Amino acid sequence: MEFSSKNGGPDDHADEPGRRKPATAPELPSGAPTDLELMSAIQREDPEALALLYDRYSGILKALILRVIHNEAEADDLLQEIFMEIWNHAKNFSPQKGKPLGWMVTLARRRAIDGLRKKQAYARAGERLQIETEQQPDAWVHNATEEEIANSDTRILVRRVINILPPAQQQAINLAFFRGMSQREIAAQTNTPLGTVKTRLELGLKKIYDGLKELKDEL
Amino acid sequence: MSFEEFENQARLYVIGALEVEETEAFELARKQFGQRAEDFIVECYSMHEAFALSLRPAKASDALKERLMTMVRKRKTTG
Repeated sequence: MEFSSKNGGPDDHADEPGRRKPATAPELPSGAPTDLELMSAIQREDPEALALLYDRYSGILKALILRVIHNEAEADDLLQEIFMEIWNHAKNFSPQKGKPLGWMVTLARRRAIDGLRKKQAYARAGERLQIETEQQPDAWVHNATEEEIANSDTRILVRRVINILPPAQQQAINLAFFRGMSQREIAAQTNTPLGTVKTRLELGLKKIYDGLKELKDEL
Repeated sequence: MSFEEFENQARLYVIGALEVEETEAFELARKQFGQRAEDFIVECYSMHEAFALSLRPAKASDALKERLMTMVRKRKTTG
């Protein structure tokens, strides 16, 4: 979660009039199949649909995995496993329960957090986490070049919602979502009373939820 | 539990941050509020999508895609 954006740069253009674009899903080229059409095709075992879905979302899913496990090779292995899981379990996807991207992110997050917990390198990740926790959320590393940031308007709009949160709320949500930490673990990690952690999570998530809803309603 | 309290808990639930001792009351409220609760939980899952979209996409490997597609096509042929 790139919670804070304090350095200016391309994100600043998000406030320019006329630049708003649909949030919550990258804009597709005209005539391109929708995510739902791709999922239906994958359910019919069409490999080309999976290839298209990979082209569309592998970057986002890999970024999510990297955010959890911080290891390029392991992220690639997990990404491959996740796309195989999408292929093998596509029939479990139901549009009534949400969008394809939401389903894939849930799968990827679960896999990545499971992977993190299983790794003997967990201790090393813990040390890195300690350092990150003590730093500003801005310090989280992202390696993508500007060319690779396709559909960045969506990211900017979502980040604007997230960036409204105070850093402590962002941190609590980051630890819960990207590290799979419980409230108690967050309290221990950040030396914060459990009740405060709960409040931070509740308030932060409500603001994000309301902000995303507002964004959808506006568009 | 009021529906507003349920909403707060549901947002924690979808990111896996509901504590064990909160789960029982949450599940009871979920049953009590029925379809309204289920619809709200589905809506909450859109936050997963948003968190992922807040990240800059990473460079995904073309070789990995090739490997994946080979496996999928092979599985389809043999499956």
